[in-house]
Parts: sequence; C-alpha cells; structure tokens
Amino acid sequence: MRFDLPDAYWKKDVALFFSRKFALILKMLYPIAIIVPVAASGMPAKYAAAVIGIVAVMAGTFGAGESLTIDLNDGILVRVALTPLSPYRIVFEILAVNTILDLVQLLPALLIVYLLHPVSIVWVFAATFAVFATLLTANCIGIFIANFTSSPADVLLYATAILFPLIYLSGFFRNQHPTGILQTLRAFVPFSYTDDALKTVFGLSTGTTPLEILIYPTIICAVLAGAVCLTAPRLLSQRL
Amino acid sequence: MEAKNISRLYKSSGRGVSDVSLRLERGEVFGLMGPNGSGKSTLLRVLSTVIAPDSGSVLVGGVDGLKEKREVRARIGLMVDRPTHYDDLTGRANAYFFARAYGMEEGKAEAVLAELFKYFELTEYADDRVKTYSYGMGKKLALIEALAHGPEVLLLDEPSLGLDYTSQLAYQCRIRDLAASGVAVLLASNQVDEVESLCDRAAFLHRGEVVAEGTPEDLISRVEGVRRIVATLRNPVEYGSLAEVEGVQRIVPEGRDLIFHCEERPGIVASVVAGIVRSGGDIVNLSVQRPNLEDVFVELTGEALSDEV
Repeated sequence: MRFDLPDAYWKKDVALFFSRKFALILKMLYPIAIIVPVAASGMPAKYAAAVIGIVAVMAGTFGAGESLTIDLNDGILVRVALTPLSPYRIVFEILAVNTILDLVQLLPALLIVYLLHPVSIVWVFAATFAVFATLLTANCIGIFIANFTSSPADVLLYATAILFPLIYLSGFFRNQHPTGILQTLRAFVPFSYTDDALKTVFGLSTGTTPLEILIYPTIICAVLAGAVCLTAPRLLSQRL
Repeated sequence: MEAKNISRLYKSSGRGVSDVSLRLERGEVFGLMGPNGSGKSTLLRVLSTVIAPDSGSVLVGGVDGLKEKREVRARIGLMVDRPTHYDDLTGRANAYFFARAYGMEEGKAEAVLAELFKYFELTEYADDRVKTYSYGMGKKLALIEALAHGPEVLLLDEPSLGLDYTSQLAYQCRIRDLAASGVAVLLASNQVDEVESLCDRAAFLHRGEVVAEGTPEDLISRVEGVRRIVATLRNPVEYGSLAEVEGVQRIVPEGRDLIFHCEERPGIVASVVAGIVRSGGDIVNLSVQRPNLEDVFVELTGEALSDEV
C-alpha cells in the first residue's frame, strides 16, 4: 500500500497527516500533555473522565470541520468532487479517515491512562471503542457544520452551539444522574457512553455494561454517519 | 459536447448566462472569449457539472450532463483558471491522485504521468511539494491533471495565462495533437493570439449572451476599416489625452505597448505618433497590424475584452 502516491481520498489524507512533521508532533503531543497529567493527578474520576471526553469531542469536531472548510475555500474539494468519484464515498472516506487519525492522536494518551489505572481488558476495549464513537460523532458534527459555512472560524461558533447541549446531556459535568426525559436523551448521545466507560476506568461504577457501550453507540453512529454522507452533494458543491 | 439554451443567473448579482447554445465536434478546438463578468466562467461551471443551469441541457457524447453527472465527469478533462492542489503533497502525488480518481489503472497512470511531466518539463520538480511551485508550474500541473486520463472533452479556462513562452508552445502543440486525435477542446481565453492560432471556431460572450460565433477568419473579416497601431514605448506616459486624437477609437495598454484601435484613414499613423510624442513618449518600436478578434469584439459590443481608455 503506497501513501506517497495516493490512489484514494483516505490515503491522500493519511499522506497529508504524516507529511507535516511539526504539526504531526504537536497533534500527537497535545492529547498527552492534557490527558496524562489529569490521569496522574488523582483528580476525582468524574472530572478526569470529563477532561478526556471533552478532548475527544473537540479534536473530532474541529479537526473535520476546519480541514473541510479550508479545502472548500481552496476550491480543491470541489475539484475532487468533479472527478467521477461518488460524492457519498468521498464524504464517507473523509469521515472514516479523520476519525481514525483522531484516534491515532489520542491512543498514546489513552494507553498511558490504562497503564496508570489498570482495568480489565474488556473495559480497555470498551473505553477505547467509546472514544472512537465519540470521535466519529464529533467528526459527523464537524462535517455537518461544513455544509453551512466555508469559514473555519464559523465552525468554532456553530460547533459550540451544537456541542453545548450534547455535552450537558452526556453528563460530563452536570446531568450526572439524570431522570425522565434527560435520561432518555442522554442514551442517544454517544458521548455519554464515553463518559461512563472512562469513569469506570478511573474506578467509578456507572451501571453501564461493556456490551451496551458496544451496541448503542454503534447504532447511533451508523445512523449519524449515514445521515452526514447524505449531505455529500451539498457539501461538495461550489459555494456561490 | 452540446449545450442547448443554457441559462443560469446568480440571484445575488443577476449576472450569469442566458440562453446560450453551443456545440463542440470531435477534434474541434472552440474558443470562448469575453471580458470579465461576461459569463465565461459560469458557462464553464455548467458544462463541467459544477452547477446546474436554471434551464437548458448539456450532452457529452450523448450522455445527459444533468442526470449522469459522474459519467460525464469521467469524459471531461477540466482545468480551472485558478488551479488548486494539495500543497503539502508532491506534484506527482497530486497528479496521481486525480488520475486514479478518474479510474486510471496504476501502471498506466504512472506511465502517462511520467510522459506528461517530461513533456511539460516538470520531471525535475515532480517530487517536490506543490507549495514550492511557482504559479506557472502550478498551471502546468493542472494541465497534466486535466490531460492524464485521456478525456473526450477538454474544458480549459485561461490555460496559458502564467505559462512561460516555451511552455505555451508546448501546451499549444499538445492541444493540436489532442484535437487531431479526436478530442474536443473548449478554450476559455482572452489571449487573442492564442485563440486565433489554436481555435477552429470561436464565440464571443457579452453580458451572458453569445453575440457572435464563427471561425476566427470569418469573425475578423466582419471588421472593415479598422487598424491596430502598436507602439512600444521606452517610458510610461499618461496616455489618456491620446484618446482624443481624431480616428482613435480606444487605447489598450499591454506592458510597454500602447495598442491603438483606429479608423483606417489617411494620416492616422502620423497623428498617433505625433500624439505620443506630445505626451512625452519615446517610441522604440511601431507596427500597424490587421484587425484581430479583439477588434471584432469591440465592433460588436462597443466594449473591450481587456482594460481600455
């Protein structure tokens, strides 16, 4: 498999990810710089879990949203859309590769967390999968936002408006023990499962099982990914 | 390629194209000329399936460009006027990515690209990142990307702008070869010499409508009694007052040249020279030329293709 001569959109993104050496070092270091001190500090589990969850949410949303809007402004994305490639496939590849690259960025920090707070292998996989689902959801949000603006600065504004209620619902800070409608809504936010999984890693029992973390976010993310791929014709069209 | 009754107006400005029809035969090079805002780019956007027209139809090789976009895109080679690339990838990686996106096989893509990079004298820079490229090198890379997959139709927007002289010759030679092999080429350009030498037919767009269409020779033959006086000056002069010389219709500056569009009348050359001298101009070269496509456009619309006095 060659990345120096990319023959697919995702390979092009991987090649670009590794081509900017200084940016790559920063991307790999900043999650460690934020997450590891938190994990090592003895901070209450709910706050430690919240910090990691927020890092994942921000990395996913702004990563996809900003890079997409920059490419839209350059006109390069419209140029790619004028090839015979399916626009749905292009957006799917954007979503998939950005999510995986975001996970690559977070993985070293997560591994250090698991070393500092040993849990069963099942919970290690559950927590890692939950973070992946959070990244996928956040990337979906970033791509969705890019449908409505071609300004990277606007992405920040729009993302805040969308993420604020979702972060509240997910229980990172408030809504820790929701009831009624809030409890129901929380179950539909993939961030919630990350919060529960990470709380468990940090030694706080939540009642959410690894199987629930595997099944529910998978279903929600599949729906979100499908929905965001449907925006492809609009997303890849020229903004006039 | 056949476009019928294409209309596309932008709501914000009210500009665009209105009821434009044109047909490109296989092996034909068709020039599209018009000043900024005349609708050239809008028409190219419609033809290349970037935007849908408000009304009208586009057929490429019999395939509906509005319904079968992906199939039509596979048949088109496109070069936009301001090409963009992935700046952190090499020129070869950019070209290879697009070649594969157009469905070329790995081996064929590498072979074709190697030949094109060599033809456009870009081999030495093929493995440099595009962000180190000059504007002209970026244009050549865009040409390579447009040509690599062997399209049936080439849509080129100002392809030679920014190319050095050698590259312009190489590009024109390639376009002739491609046309000879059956490729239809639509060339949107205001480079009058280029259109006259390359194109079998040309059309003028003015305020979104086609105002004339024909072979360059036919179009030029419509202009009677017009001469172009091209004066190369050693020093820049304030040439506004020269427009008042009797018989001078308009003046267009091009680098160190002043181009006078004049009525063909006795003493006109002497009057122009005298006017330049009065303005403090030091003439180093002077030529009187036959009318060209720009004069035709001026005659038809009363406006110039480029900046004028």
